[in-house]
Amino acid sequence: MEDMMKDRVEQLVDYIMKKCLWQFHSRSWDREKQNEGILTKTMQILCEEPVKKETPTDKCYWVDAVYLADAFKSRYSWMATLDKEEIKLLMQELKDRIDYLTIKGSLNAELTDPHY
Amino acid sequence: MPYHKFKCSECIPEREKHAVVKGPGEDITSALPLGYLNTIPGSISERGCAYCGAKHVIGTPMKDVIHMSHGPVGCTYDTWQTKRYISDNDNFQLKYTYATDMKEKHIIFGAEKLLKQNIIEAFKAFPSIKRMTLYQTCASALIGDDINAIAAEVMEEMPEVDIFVCNSPGFGGPSQSGGHHKINIAWINQKVGNVEPKITSDYVINYVGEYNIQGDQEVMVDYFKKMGIQVLSTFTGNGSYDDLRSMHRAHLNVLECARSAEYICNELKVRYGTPRLDIDGFGFEPMSASLRKVGLFFGIEDRAQAIIDEETAKWKPELEWYKERLKGKKVCLWPGGSKLWHWAHVIHDEMGLEVVSVYTKFGHQGDMEKGISRCEEGTLAIDDPNELEGLEAMEMLKPDIIFTGKRPGEVAKKIRVPYLNAHAYHNGPWKGYEGWVRFARDIYNAIYSPIHQLSLVDISKEEIPTETKFLTQKMISDMNLSEEVTSSKDLREYTGKYDIISELRGKTYPDFPAQKKLSAV
Repeated sequence: MEDMMKDRVEQLVDYIMKKCLWQFHSRSWDREKQNEGILTKTMQILCEEPVKKETPTDKCYWVDAVYLADAFKSRYSWMATLDKEEIKLLMQELKDRIDYLTIKGSLNAELTDPHY
Repeated sequence: MPYHKFKCSECIPEREKHAVVKGPGEDITSALPLGYLNTIPGSISERGCAYCGAKHVIGTPMKDVIHMSHGPVGCTYDTWQTKRYISDNDNFQLKYTYATDMKEKHIIFGAEKLLKQNIIEAFKAFPSIKRMTLYQTCASALIGDDINAIAAEVMEEMPEVDIFVCNSPGFGGPSQSGGHHKINIAWINQKVGNVEPKITSDYVINYVGEYNIQGDQEVMVDYFKKMGIQVLSTFTGNGSYDDLRSMHRAHLNVLECARSAEYICNELKVRYGTPRLDIDGFGFEPMSASLRKVGLFFGIEDRAQAIIDEETAKWKPELEWYKERLKGKKVCLWPGGSKLWHWAHVIHDEMGLEVVSVYTKFGHQGDMEKGISRCEEGTLAIDDPNELEGLEAMEMLKPDIIFTGKRPGEVAKKIRVPYLNAHAYHNGPWKGYEGWVRFARDIYNAIYSPIHQLSLVDISKEEIPTETKFLTQKMISDMNLSEEVTSSKDLREYTGKYDIISELRGKTYPDFPAQKKLSAV
């Protein structure tokens, strides 16, 4: 079960790292906001929950989230077999992994530069 | 860390941490070279300087401007024209280049008077142009000429003109990237917010990090206009100086080359709350995703989808024709910065090419994070390579083609590896759907050029074959293809015109009446 979850998370990670750019903003605080904003909204879309998009920033996160949710649903047929709780668990694992790859485990020495 | 040590750089041990191989199971937390550091003494870098990065890459694509360098004439000459940043005003910015022509005597006695005289002369010589960008160089920076003060003096005496000052001398950073950074920040500090634009649509964007190489910007703006979007400014290809002063009024910053222009997007977000949407304009799938996202942001996704459907139906069969013939060909993807990640996955997915190496001359670790994530296992990633490392890599990897700049490109030719110019293109534009097919055609033409039958023979070692008959390009490329492919009615070679940009300039667009009350200035 754990292996299956890990494998599924890696499939989603592979998609994001190959096809997306939003996770690679230049500073760690931006990456935190991007990962949180987009992956939370993706989870909400997949779970058919309401998504906030009133501010321009939220709307921009939502745009990437819509695209990501569609890609997940069309590429990974196993996604349709998950219930809401399972999707939430999967998306949390995914966020942890993306946070690790792009922030906590990142070797990029510029992430903590205080200026743009 | 899976570092790669070049034999030729054994005498420069610090170089080891600048090259890695993405091995099985490796990701960017275990395979990432150092980046954006000063070039190690003794390593003959292919980089440009910070002045070049500011002026040549970002400043000079602005079309309605006199671009003046305060320094020796060589600085301006060497940053003139080579990138084919075209514009729709008869290429004014490409036709002329300007320098104050500093000499030794000015180093001793100062060159501020000379600068003022040159600025006034240039404005008088081109009376229709009222805007100027002014660049510091190493020479004028070292003697401490106050170019801001001179610019202010001239603007007071000639109130109809406006001058932007860029303090990015050649030594102002490890590479041209230092200059990209400086000019981004200088522009937003000095100029953004100074002009109130006329808003003509409900949907307003800045298109940022796009330099109109052989018409890329015009292709993309055509799509945006078809969607009823107002492109307030382009930073900076085919961009207008005054439009770029009004960047603060856009609803969205659509960012293409994050390497050269993410700084201004980040600052626009902090200062004006305008969000930043990173896009990929290269390749069918990334292009479609980009248009769809912009459409979604404004609630006009259907307009984006109409373009995606039309363009894909028209050009996909042509892309597939080339893909059949390019499958499995090995490429060293060695551009300057952003194209290593714009192209790394999509030339593999959509053209069947195998990327065996990526490098960046001036990219940061963030660019390598994107590039290494997108390329396949076994790829050699190099930061700021020197010429000998490039040669050693080509000997080792035996690529069928490399995509790079003209300096390393000419080196590649000498060892009989064809190259395409990743910075200025061959027969661009390469953005957009048709552009992507043009890129595939250029790759095909480079790899299968009949000239290799002669040029790839090393006459110092091999006999010239006199029995072999001459083979045409198609005979070579189709040699191992199935009949199903060669006689396919669904696939076809590129059918577009030589010039696809001129007709865009006179085009009319559908009228989408604005819903909201618009400003008129």
